[in-house]
Amino acid sequence: MTSVPLVSVFSADDSSKVTAKHIPLPAVFQTPIRPDIVSFVHTNIAKNRRQAHAVNPQAGMQHSAESWGTGRAVARIPRVSGSGTHRSGQAAFGNQCRKGRMSLPIKVWRRWHRRVNIKQKRHAAATAVAATGIVPLVLARGHRISQVPQIPLVVEDKIESYEKTTDALNFLKRFGAFEDVQKVVSTKVVRAGISKQRGKKYRVRKGPLVVYFNENAKLLKAFRNVPGVEVVNVTRLNLLQLAPGGQLGRFVIWTQSAFAHLDKLFGTYRYTSIIKDGYQLLRPLITNPDLARIINSNQVQEKVQPAKTTKVLHEVQKKNPLKNTKAMDRLNPYAKKQRAAAVAAIKANTKGTKKIKKNKALKKASRAAYNKVAASLNDATKAAVQEEQDIKVKYFSVQKGAAQTE
Amino acid sequence: MSQSVLWEVVKGNNAFLVKRNGLTLSTDPFNNTGVQTYSSTGFITKNAIGVVPTQSKVNQINNVNLVARKSTKFQQVDRKTKNTQSVYASTLSVKHGIHTASRVIRKRFGTRRLGLQKAALRKLVKLNRANSVRRRNEIAATKAQKK
Repeated sequence: MTSVPLVSVFSADDSSKVTAKHIPLPAVFQTPIRPDIVSFVHTNIAKNRRQAHAVNPQAGMQHSAESWGTGRAVARIPRVSGSGTHRSGQAAFGNQCRKGRMSLPIKVWRRWHRRVNIKQKRHAAATAVAATGIVPLVLARGHRISQVPQIPLVVEDKIESYEKTTDALNFLKRFGAFEDVQKVVSTKVVRAGISKQRGKKYRVRKGPLVVYFNENAKLLKAFRNVPGVEVVNVTRLNLLQLAPGGQLGRFVIWTQSAFAHLDKLFGTYRYTSIIKDGYQLLRPLITNPDLARIINSNQVQEKVQPAKTTKVLHEVQKKNPLKNTKAMDRLNPYAKKQRAAAVAAIKANTKGTKKIKKNKALKKASRAAYNKVAASLNDATKAAVQEEQDIKVKYFSVQKGAAQTE
Repeated sequence: MSQSVLWEVVKGNNAFLVKRNGLTLSTDPFNNTGVQTYSSTGFITKNAIGVVPTQSKVNQINNVNLVARKSTKFQQVDRKTKNTQSVYASTLSVKHGIHTASRVIRKRFGTRRLGLQKAALRKLVKLNRANSVRRRNEIAATKAQKK
């Protein structure tokens, strides 16, 4: 970058006042962001605070156990010698045995610490500091910085002389850092697991990191009781604090002198560092990492071929054209007209309303005629029945008469 | 800082990432789709707009705010303005002007980022509708009380 970005230094008492308007940003903040280096260095450096521990070397081995060998219908594991107790004859020594020693018992001479190349450690620290100045990264780490006036936040050296915690708290409130402290307070949880019985009862989040420069500064005592806040001297910047958990983007509050010291500490792109002897800041592989900008630039777009339109070769699911009219139309554009013509033909065949009316009239007439016939048939049947009855009556009465006369 | 570079750092792990039921979601206020993807993750860009509800009670949307990401070139925040600002975003309340809000969204995204524009507008409409329904009910309730 040819133009150096500028940073304002804020007055400790009033967050709207600026004591120094434009201070150039130290070159560290322009170091390329290398989460791979930070992650590697962090995982190794995090091991360096471990304390050696081990299992009692005699644990599980304080028996004169011997294997019974074969032929005794038991497994060949060493068994406790002696008699008179339940323990005798029980399996011993193996990692699989109850009361046996663990497999590969931990020794004190386990390699607890890791050494990391100095250059890697320095690159990691530089990247971590750079990430401190990038708002999205600080947001991504989970800090609440919506009220903070500026990132990186640089404040005049006055805060180094704070002795009272109230001063520290008020300062944090003034600069919108209190929201982060509140987050820490509200998310304090009792730790899961045995560690809570071993002096690590609570899991507490990380809040702001205050970085000072002068060794006589009293602010350590002012800030140390504020939950989540850590205080550190610039000359002793710690990756474990700058990128807790290997995650870049801690919210850092710098004092003016600490901020100014960064150039001497890490050097610039022009001069190597004075303090870290001969250390040169990492140079980026690409000077312009903005891919979108590169792709959309005139120089690239001039050379690039026009974008291909995606050709759909065929539909994803085959539709039957004999049933699906749209599919049919796609295959045979004339099909639409054919269908319309067919419909028209059917309509034409029925010759419109005259033919229908004639049919209707015919139907009506035939129905009437049938009804008439049916009615006359009915009458005829009725008449016939009546006639039959009459004859019957007459016959039987004649019979009676005949009987009477004889 | 380039969006592509920041994405590489942030995609694996960030404070807004929520992984549940095989879904990769995001609580990023500048993300209007809710799903974490490169283009929808607004907080790593310079010019995102988030449509954010403000709530005083659970399931109650008091107001809808537009939170517009602004480029942070180490500018000092003007404390005198009433508009709540922060180092990385400026807020616009949608209380009375949904048309203003939608205009802001349209101007920000223009025709180049239609997907993002539609997502923001969709969210704005939905939240505003929810809010107006609630307000209508409240007004009706107070009227009923008065009677």
